[in-house]
Amino acid sequence: MANPNAVCNGHLHHHHHQKQNNLLKSGIYKKNGITKGMKKNGVSNGTLYKKTFIEHFEQAPMYVAVLTFLGFGVGTVFGYLRDFMRAWGLEKRHIAAEREQQKDFVPLYQDFENFYTRNLYMRIRDNWNRPICSVPGPQFDLMERVTDDYNWTFRFTGRIIKNVINMGSYNYLGFAETDVNALKTVTIELQKYGTGICSTRQEMGTLDKHVELEKLVAKFLGVEDAMVFGMGFATNSMNIPALVGKGCLILSDELNHTSLVLGARLSGATIRIFKHNNMQSLEKLLRDAIIYGQPRSHRAWRKIIILVEGIYSMEGSIVRLPEIVSLKKKYKAYLYLDEAHSIGAVGASGRGVVEYFGMNPDDVDVLMGTFTKSFGAAGGYIAGKKDLVDFLRTHSHSAVYATSMCPAVAEQIIRAMKCLMGQDGTTQGLQRVRQLGKNTRYFRRRLHEMGFIIYGNDDSPVVPLLLYMPGKIGAFARRMLEKNIGVVVVGFPATPITESRARFCVSAAHTREMLDTVLNALDELGDFLQLKYSRYSKASHPELYEETRLELED
Amino acid sequence: EKEELIEEWQPEPLVPPVPKDHPALNYNIVSGPPTHIITVNGKECINFASFNFLGLLDNEKVKTAAQTSLKKYGVGTCGPRGFYGTFDVHLELEERLAKFMRTEEAIIYSYGFATIASAIPAYSKRGDIVFVDEAACFAIQKGLQASRSNIKLFKHNDMADLERLLKEQETEDQKNPRKARVTRRFIVVEGLYMNTGDICPLPELIKLKYKYKVRIFLEESLSFGVLGEHGRGITEHFGINIDDIDLISANMENSLASIGGFCCGRSFIIDHQRLSGQGYCFSASLPPLLAAAAIEALNIMEDNPGIFQTLRAKCERIHKALQG
Repeated sequence: MANPNAVCNGHLHHHHHQKQNNLLKSGIYKKNGITKGMKKNGVSNGTLYKKTFIEHFEQAPMYVAVLTFLGFGVGTVFGYLRDFMRAWGLEKRHIAAEREQQKDFVPLYQDFENFYTRNLYMRIRDNWNRPICSVPGPQFDLMERVTDDYNWTFRFTGRIIKNVINMGSYNYLGFAETDVNALKTVTIELQKYGTGICSTRQEMGTLDKHVELEKLVAKFLGVEDAMVFGMGFATNSMNIPALVGKGCLILSDELNHTSLVLGARLSGATIRIFKHNNMQSLEKLLRDAIIYGQPRSHRAWRKIIILVEGIYSMEGSIVRLPEIVSLKKKYKAYLYLDEAHSIGAVGASGRGVVEYFGMNPDDVDVLMGTFTKSFGAAGGYIAGKKDLVDFLRTHSHSAVYATSMCPAVAEQIIRAMKCLMGQDGTTQGLQRVRQLGKNTRYFRRRLHEMGFIIYGNDDSPVVPLLLYMPGKIGAFARRMLEKNIGVVVVGFPATPITESRARFCVSAAHTREMLDTVLNALDELGDFLQLKYSRYSKASHPELYEETRLELED
Repeated sequence: EKEELIEEWQPEPLVPPVPKDHPALNYNIVSGPPTHIITVNGKECINFASFNFLGLLDNEKVKTAAQTSLKKYGVGTCGPRGFYGTFDVHLELEERLAKFMRTEEAIIYSYGFATIASAIPAYSKRGDIVFVDEAACFAIQKGLQASRSNIKLFKHNDMADLERLLKEQETEDQKNPRKARVTRRFIVVEGLYMNTGDICPLPELIKLKYKYKVRIFLEESLSFGVLGEHGRGITEHFGINIDDIDLISANMENSLASIGGFCCGRSFIIDHQRLSGQGYCFSASLPPLLAAAAIEALNIMEDNPGIFQTLRAKCERIHKALQG
């Protein structure tokens, strides 16, 4: 085992990162790859991680940042020019305008708020909201859409682009399928129950299907009880206010999803933000909170709750759960884990980050997740100890005021979960999880080899590929569509303004050929658009890389 | 010393204990479809508790439409609207709703509660003023809380009280005209109130709107498919031009026997929500089988305008019988 270190160091491709040392974006660390954990992350918590935790957040060379700002600058200048021409009537106004009768009302939108939307977003608007007309499986059919006036309005030509490879939908385990056998039970339930419920949970809305589903979810996660809701977004925004209130403290990660932020704001508690996945920052905040208490009165906080996500959808990074749990136990805080993307996608049998790190689900106080991503349905759940779930049944806003889940959708989740747990008599569930893991690792490895900058953990099926420049966002998405591959590109405001990216979602239903097609297309496009910014490409010695890979795998 | 502080601090338990016999803990479990005859806890009862106003929950045509959609699209959409989550059924449903309500555009949300709770914060920000009826439903309250605007409550259905508040606001404005020019003002009312069962006096509201220059947001969850000759809601009931209302929001979970919600109005207003409605941009889209069911329900509503008369007749009968 001594050799891997030597070869490893010679190859500059292992980026073992610790945000803890705040040298986050400035290069690589050569670290021991495989030792039994002692020197893993350079801190004494090395024994907490049972397998290597490799995350990459490489920073691009300086000229890229300069060109990005230049690109935005040109866009802004032209934006001002166009606004000026529109105000003076030299150019036609394309957007809808206020009613004549209401012209003297206070304007509904400030001009400046929409500056970005009008001038920069409009130019590349055709890459979002693309309508599809088939099941969102590994391949789908797109409706062809053209614009005659530079994206202000769209027109459907009526043609359908068939068999576009789908790298954008959250279909991690491939349960978005129309196979008649698979959907047999769903069809029966739909016929029996109909589509709507027309009632809330506490009134006539609890069907026996819901009770069955909740028991199954609790068993799947290994906790005492669970409760399901009709929408994932609403699960967060309506239950966090039920758990915390005034006088409590919420410590939330920098890059948390909008639903978590909204729930935290609606609760009325004080919110403090710690740097993304940075345990030093979190510990400092915890200590300060306990020592100094509430801001003005210095009374003790009633509760401290930490909000994190399993996999962050824009970064592809996985939360450092062992360290957070040890911090939580030391400082007696509560942990709320949002596993929207990680349930079903990571872990040896698909049970999420808790299983991925080999930890006990009892350590996490509130386990929350959604069924939209890995289970091909809709809705969310919260699971944990029985006291917690009982409290939520009585006090959650969603139980009292919002409709419950549609029974056909509940049946889809039940059959997907049974398949994952192996209760339907086949090993299809485990096969899907393994296939997803293989696909993820293969895809990421090849992309690293080609020299792209990829963010995130090696095991996360969310793969962000950095594009940086605003012009490349549009070019990348359009060219990939010409090659019959559908990708998702994101820019400001979902990501920082200089770090626009293309995000791939690997699915268990993707075959090796599909992934190869995508990778070849990326290779060509990367050369054409000059996207291969990484300074640590491995393409030079592929055969040596293969060898070390074999040795490193236990 | 700091270590001692850390040791001593004891937080509250995460959740307070709940008494075991709390009524909400022992749900009434419904087995079988929640239609007019409902099986609760094993007993068959007549259902006066669900919002199944038009009786479309067990309609065969609706179920068939949902089944066809299930075969074609599967169950979930696996993505938000912006990232390949827009299906042709969604676009069709939006067009049909806009045509039915005779507005320019409509936008669909995947959950009824999230509809109004995302629509209000998209337009009304910190510093804006919202006049709300006291008996507004919970979803509206959450939307207002999320928007961080100044909220002024007026007594339920009391137009004199509302006018008083508007006059006060006007005098405030005259003290500070610069600020007044950028503060947006809204009135949020419901067509049929969930908490009291009254209808709001819309014609007077329209007069107040033009007099004091406030915009109206109308929440029609219960009145869509119930009021009006063809079920178009309270604007048809009173015969008001629909362009006078800035935004109509409704959920499809009551009369349309589906799940989800929609907002309709002029494109000028609705288009803004496509980028700034939180429940629209950051959440997965409506499962296509539910959208297909809603389209079919709309077809039924358009083809049989007689059902609204039947509903009204039955309502009047029950009211008369209960009032003695």
